[in-house]
Amino acid sequence: PALPSGWSAEKDFKAVGTLSGATQRNLEAVGPFFLAHARRKRHGRTFSEDERI
Amino acid sequence: MSSETNGATERFAIGISFGNSSSSIARLNPEGKAEVIANEEGDRQIPTVLSYIEGEEYHGAQAKNQLIRNSQNTVAYFRDYLGKDFKSIDATPCHNSAHPQQHDDTVAFSIRDTTSETPSTVTVSEIATRHLRRLKQSASDYLGKEVNAAVITVPTDFNDAQREALIASANAAGLEVLQLIHEPVAAALAYDARPEAVVTDKLTVVADLGGTRSDATVIACRGGMYTILATAHDYELGGATLDKIVIDHFAKEFIKKHKTDPRENARGLAKLKLEGEATKRALSLGTNATLSIESLADGIDYGSTINRTRYELLSGKVFAQFTALIEQVVKKAGLDVLDIDEVIFAGGTSHTPKIAQLARNIFSEKTTILAPSTFTAAINPSELAPRGAAIQASLIQEFDKEDIEQSIHPMVTATPHLQNAIGVEVTSGDAVDFQALLHVETALPARRTAQFSAPKEGGDVLIRVCEGVREIKVTKPEPKPKEEKAEADEDDSDFSDSDEEEEEIREIVWKTEKPIAELAVKGVKAGSKVELMIHVDADLGLQITAREVGGQSAVRGAVEAPKA
Repeated sequence: PALPSGWSAEKDFKAVGTLSGATQRNLEAVGPFFLAHARRKRHGRTFSEDERI
Repeated sequence: MSSETNGATERFAIGISFGNSSSSIARLNPEGKAEVIANEEGDRQIPTVLSYIEGEEYHGAQAKNQLIRNSQNTVAYFRDYLGKDFKSIDATPCHNSAHPQQHDDTVAFSIRDTTSETPSTVTVSEIATRHLRRLKQSASDYLGKEVNAAVITVPTDFNDAQREALIASANAAGLEVLQLIHEPVAAALAYDARPEAVVTDKLTVVADLGGTRSDATVIACRGGMYTILATAHDYELGGATLDKIVIDHFAKEFIKKHKTDPRENARGLAKLKLEGEATKRALSLGTNATLSIESLADGIDYGSTINRTRYELLSGKVFAQFTALIEQVVKKAGLDVLDIDEVIFAGGTSHTPKIAQLARNIFSEKTTILAPSTFTAAINPSELAPRGAAIQASLIQEFDKEDIEQSIHPMVTATPHLQNAIGVEVTSGDAVDFQALLHVETALPARRTAQFSAPKEGGDVLIRVCEGVREIKVTKPEPKPKEEKAEADEDDSDFSDSDEEEEEIREIVWKTEKPIAELAVKGVKAGSKVELMIHVDADLGLQITAREVGGQSAVRGAVEAPKA
């Protein structure tokens, strides 16, 4: 982390760019973490929603 | 329990690895550890061979022994013929057993599998069914319960027709195929499912060195999920290539003494093959091995020894082919050997100590080489695929068939992956460094949290979230290697030590490509840490939260997805 000097922004947050893109790839449908991912995706849940269940 | 088929009856699933040379069965034991099951002969690597004498079926090691006296009625190396037409197969491995033949649009073998004198034509699918039925029987006998389902491993280059043919064969053997999983991924899972393993983001190369073929695969492991980045195959390279070196060595010795070539006689060659393979195996464990064959040729008994040094000298070229395959796949993935965090050696030929040692020289010191000779806690390379399959089987056996199908559907597996790493800039002195938080090829959506130490004197802290690109920096030898100190980071360090062998020093450096967002955490106490959480959505939108560890207020914000 660096020190700011004369830096200010609304609510201390400033968006300055966007991600430059993604590549479409296939996940391997294997392992507990994938199955959790599949469950989230099928039910349209987010990480925190999933944790609460 | 009703007697309805599938679903209603209780499932009892195992993991099966089905290879050209050998197959294995595994299950998760009551303690939750994967365990490979031995068949009634005590073999854990069960030769994928079937043989028939007078209508009686022999399987595994017993059938393999029939290659000497009863080669015409013995079927071996048939896995890769499943779901293929006759023209596209390579029949070389079957030279010393029943030959594959064209039968309609599939491959078949002509063998005497009944008591009658006339041979019958048995398709490769039927052979596979009989083989799987025997595997199922062995597992059921051992577990004392009827096994009715399985997760089976397949190579990454198996096409849909091959997959369908395998599923049909398994169904005919009374096995419900819950899922077909890729061999290298099963190997990676077998390692990651160990209780002591920590889920990290890493790039893994799986070198699956088999009997008649070898495959190398680069897998990105991100948050415990696997994505295959590249694969390379060699259909001629494998343990059989090394067997041949041992066979030729002994054959030459025999010729010198007795003036006849035992390889010219089919039975002599079969005996040499069987014993030569056993000798090669012994050389993976000890530094000396013997070979003795009764009546090798012209009724002469033969016995000799070979030491490992000699064997490694003779096999140098072949060993180099194995390492070349590994280097090739890393290149194919567009990566450098410095990027690789671990190399998993799988398959029977991976027991060879020299191959792992050669691989050790290719990669940097930080790369873990998971092979018996380089890593004491390594899992038996022959058992990785069946163990991975058993773990997967236990995870999904409770699911409904529909659930499994939906989960492995392309809708779920096709996922956007990050093109660049996302991380933060870290200042140490004057230099500005980049620390990756989410690595390249991370499947989305993803979330990572990391802690960074705030400046010693405390105060206000600025966090710049950026995209970063990895570059390989080549330094000429004269300046002394700069010690890069990795900050406290949950992920493993991205800085690698320099290669001592090479003249020039190659290392990974990160370049900040594009700033994404800036956050200020104010009034941080001296010596405390700042926690940063980044969540990336599937549409590339970000949510960022930062706060002082133990602090009350958090700074949060969102970055919109890029407009298409």
